[in-house]
Amino acid sequence: MEPRLTIRFDPQSGVPAIRQIADNLRILLVEEKLAPGMQLPSMRRLAMELGVHFSTVAEAYRELAAEGWLDLRHGRGATVLARSVPSVRRKVWVDEFRDRLRGLIAQTRAGGASGDEVAAELRAAAKETAR
Amino acid sequence: MIRLVSIFISAFFGALLFMVPNMARRAVFFTLNVAPDFRASPAGRRAVSGFRGLVAFAVLIDFAAIFFAPEEALGAVVVASPALVLLAAMAGFLRQKHNVGRFASQSPAPGVREADLSSEPDKIPWFAWFGAVPFAMLAAAAAFLDRNWDRIPVRFPVHWNINDQPNRWADRTSLGVYGPLLFAAEFCAFLLALALAGWFGARRSRMRRIVLGTMIAVECMMALLFSGFAVNPVLQLPVWLIVLAPLPLMGIIVFVAVRRMTGSDGAAAPAPAGCWHAGGIYYNPGDPALLVEKPTGMGYTVNFGNHWSWVLTAGLVLIVASVRPLLL
Repeated sequence: MEPRLTIRFDPQSGVPAIRQIADNLRILLVEEKLAPGMQLPSMRRLAMELGVHFSTVAEAYRELAAEGWLDLRHGRGATVLARSVPSVRRKVWVDEFRDRLRGLIAQTRAGGASGDEVAAELRAAAKETAR
Repeated sequence: MIRLVSIFISAFFGALLFMVPNMARRAVFFTLNVAPDFRASPAGRRAVSGFRGLVAFAVLIDFAAIFFAPEEALGAVVVASPALVLLAAMAGFLRQKHNVGRFASQSPAPGVREADLSSEPDKIPWFAWFGAVPFAMLAAAAAFLDRNWDRIPVRFPVHWNINDQPNRWADRTSLGVYGPLLFAAEFCAFLLALALAGWFGARRSRMRRIVLGTMIAVECMMALLFSGFAVNPVLQLPVWLIVLAPLPLMGIIVFVAVRRMTGSDGAAAPAPAGCWHAGGIYYNPGDPALLVEKPTGMGYTVNFGNHWSWVLTAGLVLIVASVRPLLL
């Protein structure tokens, strides 16, 4: 049996709903758990399940469609596309990635996590990414 | 006869109240979040026994009062007896809620929501078709009345006092004869709309299926009751039979719903705490759900931030407004 694919939304996290939904879906797309050709739930149903406004889900779907992950056609819902990896100059993505990672680490440590715990999580994530 | 019927109704009402502690998910007990296996623990059993003991005591007092009441006071006793049982149940519930409080989980239900990414269509269960049965029952009753129009008395009773004596009559007119059926059709349409709203307008959960089945069963019961009442001028059935006939069906509905509900794990699907007002009114325009699970785990409530809630409210107002022209 195929494992159940889910996304989570925490209304109390402080992160905007659209960010959480788009990021959660993007993780599944990058990890290829959402494979090309798969159909996503309708915007109405996903909004209902997450308890967010319909337009929030629509905006998240549009963002992913603009990145080339989804095909949004009226009446057909959202279909996952086979996406070619865009070529980005190494300097550009590395700088942006480091900035975002530093911000996330600072935020997590400010929330009470120790440096060792964060480092362990980063090592685990690095191992998974390198697979 | 009235004493026997009243005792039966009181016993039935008590039996329904006996099931109240089980009318919630396994992890919700006396409206508090507890460990799923708490209700089977000695403290959980003690709480249920304490609640049921008080209800049983009130029912026994009822029996004695109905049995020994003098004829002239019987009417008042029959009316007051369900109120006594209800009051005892409320007091017992609050007392046991207080007792269970120290075992309740300190952390509120998790606020994180999870959505399945399956794109499977949200198929409505097969038994939803039974929602059409009540309308067939009402139509059959109307056809029966039409065929036997001449057997309907020119004036017939439609209301009885506590001593089984008629105290209100209707004339053999279209409204007088078909009024109860029209009212029942309106009521059943409302219940069906509510049942479907609960399916298509609520988050996916096992509770949604239970509520749909229960609503449709209640719809069938109401149609049975009103059909019996409408054809009575022709069949001249004893009134107590019409009143008591739907009770076994109601008992089965509650029993099945309770069994399925307590088999349901986990806390209610969380709805933002800031959107609950005056204890139980949910208003969240940002939530597209029309019906949301109550935090107590006991059924659903309407999201008044959804504009369809006003359509449901209008339906309810229409039903209340049509009681007098169609039934009285």
